[in-house]
Amino acid sequence: MLWDENAPSIAQNLKKLVTEQDCPHLLFYGPPGSGKKTLIMALLRQMFGATAEKVKVENKTWKVDAGSRSIDIELTTLSSTNHVELNPSDAGFQDRYIVQEIIKEMAKNRPIDTKGKKGFKVLVLNEVDKLSREAQHSLRRTMEKYSSYCRLILCCNSSSKVTEAIRSRCLNVRINAPTEEETVKVLELIGKKEGLQLPSGFAARIAEKSNRSLRRAILSFETCRVQQYPFTSKQVIPPMDWEEYVAEIASDIMKEQSPKRLFQVRGKLYELLVNCIPPEIILKVLAFFSLLHSHIPQREAIDKLTWKLNHKGTFDCRSFYHALHIPKEERFPWKSIWAVKAPRRVAFFVWTVTWGRILTCDNLKKRGYVMQSWCCIRMLRRL
Amino acid sequence: MKETGDAISVTFSPWPLPALSPLSFVEALGGGAAAWRGSRGGGADGVICLNSNINKRLTQVEERWCPHLCFLVLQRLRFNDFAIQPRTFRSIAVLLPNSIMSDKQTDIRKWFMKSHDKGNGNVKESKPANPAPTKSQPEKSVNESQENSGRRKTSKYFATDKQKLKDEKETQELPAKRKNQKDKDESLKPPPSKKVHKVDDDDDGDDFVLSSSRKNSVDVTPSKKLKSGSGRGIAQKPVEIEEGDEDEGEDKETPLKSGGRGRGGRGSSAAPAGGRGRGGGRGGFMNFGERKDPPHKGEKEVPEGAPDCLAGLTFVISGTLDSLEREEAEDLIKRHGGRVTGSISKKTNYLLCDEDIGGRKSAKAKELGFTYFYIVLPFSLRNGLFDMIRASKPAKAPVREESKRPVDKVASQPKKSPQKLEAKKDKIGNSLATNVANKGLTTGASPAKRKTQTVEKNALTWPEKYRPKVPSDIIGNQSLVKQLHDWLAHWNEQFLDSGNKKKGKRQNDSGAKKAVLLSGTPGIGKTTSAKLVSQMLSFQAIEVNASDSRGKADAKIEKGIGGSNANSVKELVSNEALSVNMDRSKHPKTVLIMDEVDGMSAGDRGGIADLIASIKISKIPIICICNDRYSQKLKSLVNYCLLLSFRKPTKQQMAKRLMQVANAEGLQVNEIALEELAERVNGDMRMALNQLQYMSLSMSVIKYDDIRQRLLNSAKDEDISPFTAVDKLFSFNAGKLRMDERIDLSMSDPDLVPLLIQENYINYRPSSAGKDDNGIKRMSLIARAAESIGDGDIINVQIRRYRQWQLSQSSSLASSIIPAALLHGQRETLEQGERNFNRFGGWLGKNSTMGKNLRLLEDFHVHLLASRESSSGRQTLRVEYLTLLLKRLTGPLRVLPKVDEAVQKVVEFMNIYSISQEDFDTIVELSKFKGHPNPLDGIQPAVKAALTKAYKEGSKTRMVRAADLVTLPGVKKAPKKRIAAILEPSDDGLADGGGTLAESEEDNSSDTDELGKLLYTQCKF
Repeated sequence: MLWDENAPSIAQNLKKLVTEQDCPHLLFYGPPGSGKKTLIMALLRQMFGATAEKVKVENKTWKVDAGSRSIDIELTTLSSTNHVELNPSDAGFQDRYIVQEIIKEMAKNRPIDTKGKKGFKVLVLNEVDKLSREAQHSLRRTMEKYSSYCRLILCCNSSSKVTEAIRSRCLNVRINAPTEEETVKVLELIGKKEGLQLPSGFAARIAEKSNRSLRRAILSFETCRVQQYPFTSKQVIPPMDWEEYVAEIASDIMKEQSPKRLFQVRGKLYELLVNCIPPEIILKVLAFFSLLHSHIPQREAIDKLTWKLNHKGTFDCRSFYHALHIPKEERFPWKSIWAVKAPRRVAFFVWTVTWGRILTCDNLKKRGYVMQSWCCIRMLRRL
Repeated sequence: MKETGDAISVTFSPWPLPALSPLSFVEALGGGAAAWRGSRGGGADGVICLNSNINKRLTQVEERWCPHLCFLVLQRLRFNDFAIQPRTFRSIAVLLPNSIMSDKQTDIRKWFMKSHDKGNGNVKESKPANPAPTKSQPEKSVNESQENSGRRKTSKYFATDKQKLKDEKETQELPAKRKNQKDKDESLKPPPSKKVHKVDDDDDGDDFVLSSSRKNSVDVTPSKKLKSGSGRGIAQKPVEIEEGDEDEGEDKETPLKSGGRGRGGRGSSAAPAGGRGRGGGRGGFMNFGERKDPPHKGEKEVPEGAPDCLAGLTFVISGTLDSLEREEAEDLIKRHGGRVTGSISKKTNYLLCDEDIGGRKSAKAKELGFTYFYIVLPFSLRNGLFDMIRASKPAKAPVREESKRPVDKVASQPKKSPQKLEAKKDKIGNSLATNVANKGLTTGASPAKRKTQTVEKNALTWPEKYRPKVPSDIIGNQSLVKQLHDWLAHWNEQFLDSGNKKKGKRQNDSGAKKAVLLSGTPGIGKTTSAKLVSQMLSFQAIEVNASDSRGKADAKIEKGIGGSNANSVKELVSNEALSVNMDRSKHPKTVLIMDEVDGMSAGDRGGIADLIASIKISKIPIICICNDRYSQKLKSLVNYCLLLSFRKPTKQQMAKRLMQVANAEGLQVNEIALEELAERVNGDMRMALNQLQYMSLSMSVIKYDDIRQRLLNSAKDEDISPFTAVDKLFSFNAGKLRMDERIDLSMSDPDLVPLLIQENYINYRPSSAGKDDNGIKRMSLIARAAESIGDGDIINVQIRRYRQWQLSQSSSLASSIIPAALLHGQRETLEQGERNFNRFGGWLGKNSTMGKNLRLLEDFHVHLLASRESSSGRQTLRVEYLTLLLKRLTGPLRVLPKVDEAVQKVVEFMNIYSISQEDFDTIVELSKFKGHPNPLDGIQPAVKAALTKAYKEGSKTRMVRAADLVTLPGVKKAPKKRIAAILEPSDDGLADGGGTLAESEEDNSSDTDELGKLLYTQCKF
C-alpha cells in the first residue's frame, strides 16, 4: 500500500490527525496517478474501520427543483454507512444543482450512530476542479454550515481551479507524483509478487514512459505482461490507443497545413471525442506532440548567421546606416496638440489621450481601481 | 466564303439584331494589308485574326469597330475546321490563337489591354485610380446616338468610326479646350451636324492606310468625353482631369505614325497595363467560376436602350463581367427584352463573358459549335452589349435629320431594322392606350378575343375575373386535372354502382379511393381546378372551407341540418342514399369540396377524423384540398385519398397567361417583365394577378423595372432556411450585404447557422484573399475565423448557462458573421466525392454519439465500481484502463489455440470485474478509431459466439445483488433507476441487510432496456 511508501510523512500526519483529533475538511490535490484516492481510502478505513470498505454503488436519478422547472440529474454514488463518494462534475453545467440540493441533503442528514462514536459522516467529492464556479460557491456555504457533523474530502488534480474560498476552508494536502525511482521500486515489487522475471532496465523504461503516474506505470506493466511474456529487454511498451491516435493527428498537423488537412484533423478530433477522450487531455497531449514536432527543423540547411536588419539576411551598410540613423520612436506631436486653436481643456484632453493616460476602464484597472467590467467580451475571456 | 489570296471574307445573314445591320465577316490571314483594305472597302464588318500579327489586327479592329464588334474566340484557326455556315453564323468574330488562351503568363485581359493601348494610344491608359478612360467609350456612343443616329441607322458598325471622326472635327472646333491637340491630317472644318455626316461618308471610304488619321480619331476620344460631358452633364469632372494626362500621351504618340503605332503604344501602355491591378494580380480566366467583383464596377454608365432592343435573343452569362455584377447584367438584358438562361443550349445567341474564356461554358459553347451563338469578349460586353442596347435607342433629335440626310451608299443594307425600331417606338409613343399597340408589342397574345374585355374595368378583382373558365385554361398541371376529371367521371360507376351490386369488388379495388386530396402551394389553382372539373362534369359543387366550422358532427344527427355545418356535411354525404332510389338523372349530382383541410384547427375538433368517417360512408365524391400534404394533421387522411400534388406552373406558362390578362386589361407589359413577375411570386398565379392589378392602377405600361421595384420588398419577407442563410452569408457577394441583413441571416436560426458555418467555413476559398499562391492568406483567414468561432462559443455558453440573452447579437456576430465575412467566396470540395453543397453540421451527430458512448461508459464504470476491484473515475477508466482491458478481453481469444480455454479465461476476467456483455461491446466500441483496425479483427465469429454462450451460462450461477438505497430526505420520488449490481458469490449474498435479490438475468435484461433508452439522446451542449 502506498500508505507507507509514497508519502510517509503525509500519511503519518493524517493518521495522527484522524486518530487523535477531529478531522477538518480535506483537499487532496496532485497529478493523476499519484495516489490521492488510495490515500483517501486508507484514511476512511482509518476513520471508520472495515465498514468503510463495504460500499455499494448506486446510480440514480435525482429530481431537483430549479426555479420554475425540475431537472433530472443522474448521479452515481459509492456509499458506505459512513461515507458517500460522488463525482459532482459529471452533471456538467448542472453541477450546481448537485451541490445545492443533493450534497446539501446528504450533508444535512446526520448519521445515526448508536454508539455515538464518530459523530460525523464523510462526503468524498472527486474532481472538484471541474466544478463550475457557481457550484463551488454553493459548496462553500455547505461546508461551513454542516461542518459539525459532515466532513468533506475533496479530491482534484489542480488546486488552482478550486476557488480560494474553498481552499481556505480545507486542509490542503498536496500529493506528489512518485518519482521514477519510486515507480521502479513499486514495479519491481509487483513483479516479485507476481513472480515475473523483469529484465534489467525494463521497469525503468516503463516508469519513464508513464510520465510519473504510478497507475499508468502499473497498467502498462500489465499490458506488457499480457502482450508478451517472458519480457525481453527490447520489448516495446505499447502506448495507449488514443495516444497513438493523437500522435497521428499531431504529425498530420505538422506535415501539412491546408484547409483539406484541417478538415481531416477535425474529423479525427471528432473521432477522439466520440470515443470519450476528454478534450483537455487531447489538447494537452496534442500540444506536447506539436511542440516536439515543431522543434524538428523543417529545412535541411546549414545554420548560419543572418543580418536581421535586412530582409535578405546579408549584411549591407545601408540597412545598418538606417538602423543607426533613423531614430525608432516617433516624435511627440506636441505641435498638433498645443498649437491648434482649440480650447485649453480640449488640448489637454487630447494630450492625455496621446499619452494614453485617459481614465478608461483598463487604465483605471491598472491603477488598482476595483470596478465592474462592462465589456462583455473581456469579461467572458476572463472566464 | 471566298478566298482571296491570304484573306477570306465571309458574309453572313440574316443579322439577328433588329437594330444592327447584317454583318459580313472578314478574315485577314497573315496580315495582308491589302486584303484588309479590300475588305474594308467592301464593307466587311469583322475580323478574324491569327497568331501572326494579331496585335496589329486587333488594333485595327479595336480602333475601328470595337464598339460594335463581337469577338469570337477559337482555339486554333484553321478554316477548314472552322466550318462556318454562313446562314447560321451570325457574327463577326476575332479568333485568338490558342497560345494566348493557354498561356498562363498572359492574362487575356492584359493582352487585350495592351493591344488596345497600342491602338488607341492612351485612351485605354488606366491607372487604377482613374476610372475615366473606360468611361469614354459608352459616352462616346451615347453621343453618337444623339447626334448621329441617322447615319448610324444605315450602318451600325461604322457609326462609331464616323462618330470618332466627327468628334475629332468637333474637338478642333473647341480649340480652347484642347490646345495641345494638333492634328495636321485633319483639315476638316467643324461643321454642324449635317456636314459631319458628309465627312463621315468620306471618311468611311477613306482608307486604313491613313493610319494617322485613324490614330487621331482615336486620340480624340477624350474630347468626345468632354463634349458629351458638357452636352449631357455626365461625369464632367473626372473627364476633365483625365484629359490633361491623355493629351500628353497623345502628343507623345502622334508623331509615331503608321509603322510606329505598335511601338508607340507599347511604350505608353506597358506600365498601365501592369498597373491596372487586374492584369497581373489575377488568375484571370484560368479559374472559372470564381466570381470576383467586376473590376470596373460602376465605372461605366449603363446605357439605356429601346425597350425591346434585345427581344428574342437569349443570353448566357459566364464569369465575371467587366463592369457589371452578374445580376445587373441579367437585369439589363431582361430590361431590354432579352432572355437570360443558365446554361448554353442551341437557342443561345450570346455568351456574355469576360474573364472566363476557357471556362466550362465557353467549352460547352465550343462543343456546340460556333454557329449557334457568339462569344462576346471583354470589349464586347463593354461595347458589345452596351452598344447593342445603346444603339437600339432611337435618339430624340434625329428624326428631323433623317429626312434631310441623303442615304448612305456604303452601308445601305442595314437601313431597315433601325427604322423598324423607330417605327415601333413611334407606335409606342402614340398608341399607349390603344390595343393596336398591344398587338404590336406583345408576343403570344390573343388580343382580338380579349379586346372587348378592356371596356369592362369593373370592381371584380383580377384573380376572380380571370379565373379559368374551362379546365384547359388552367395553367400547368394539365395531367393532374385530367386525372381529377377521370376520377370524378368514373366515381359513380366505381363506387355507387359496384356498391349496389357487389360490395366485395369495391373493397378489393385498392387503387380506387373515394376521395382525392389536392395539394400544392397557394394560388396555383387547386380550388379552381376542382370547381371547374366538377362543373364540367355537371356536378354540383358544395364547397366547405376554413370559414365554415368543421368540427365533429353532432352525434345526434336528428337535430338536423339546421344545426352545425358538420351535420349538414354528414347529411349531404349520406343522403345520396335517398337519391339512389330516385331517378338519378333528375337528381343533380353533387360533389363535396373540402377546402383547406390542413387548416382544420382548434375550432374544428375531430374534423379530420370526422372527414375520414364521412369519406368512408360517403355516397358522393369528396375533393379535399390542402397546402401541405405532409402536414402532421393530414397523416391519417392521406390513406383514404387519391393524392394529386399540384406543381407550380413554370414562369413561361404563367407569363403567357398573364400576358393574356394584361392584354385584356389594356396593359402594356412585355413578356420578360411578366416572367420576372412570375418568378418573383413563386408560382402563385393569384398573387401575380393581384400585383398586376395593383400596378395597373398607377400605370398603363409596365416595364421590367417596375416589377422589380414592386416586388423587391416582398421577396424580403420570405422565411429562409439555415442552409440558405449560410449560403448567402458565404456567397460570393456576401461582402455587399448590409450588417442588419447579416444579422437577420444569422439570426434566422441562431442554433443551426453557427453550426453550419463552423462545419463549412473550411471549404471556402475566400475572395478577400485575392491571389493566394500557397494558401497562406487563406489559412490565416481560417485561423481568424476559427478564433472568432471560438469566441462565439464562449459567448454562447454565457447565453445558455447564465441566460445572458442580451449577448445574442454578439454571439451571432462572433460565431457566424465574422467567419463568414472573412471567408466568403467560392466553395470547394475538400474530399473526393463530396458534393459541393454546405454540409449539415457534423457536430450534432458526433455529439450525440459521444453522449451515448459516455453513458455506456458510465454503465460500465458503475459495473466496475460494483465489482469493488477499482474505484477510479470514469475518465481515468477510459483514458488509462481501457487499453489494458481490451487487451485482456480480446487477447486470449485471438492468441490461445483452444477456444474453450480462451473463452473460459475471458469470462473469468469479466466476472472478476463484473463486466457484462454490453460492457464488453462498449469497450470494443470505444476503442474503435477510424483508420485503425477494428479491435475485434482476427477473432473468429465462432469464438465470439462461444464467448457469448459461455457468459450466458455463467450468469446463471452468478448472484447479483441489487442494493437498496438509503432513502434520503429531500428526494421526493423514489429513484427510477437502479443499476446497482454487486457481484458476489452467492453464499454470502445476504451479508448486507436490506438487500433485494434479483436474478442476474433480470438484471441483464433491465440493463439492456436502460441502454436502449439511453441511446441517441441528444443534448444541447
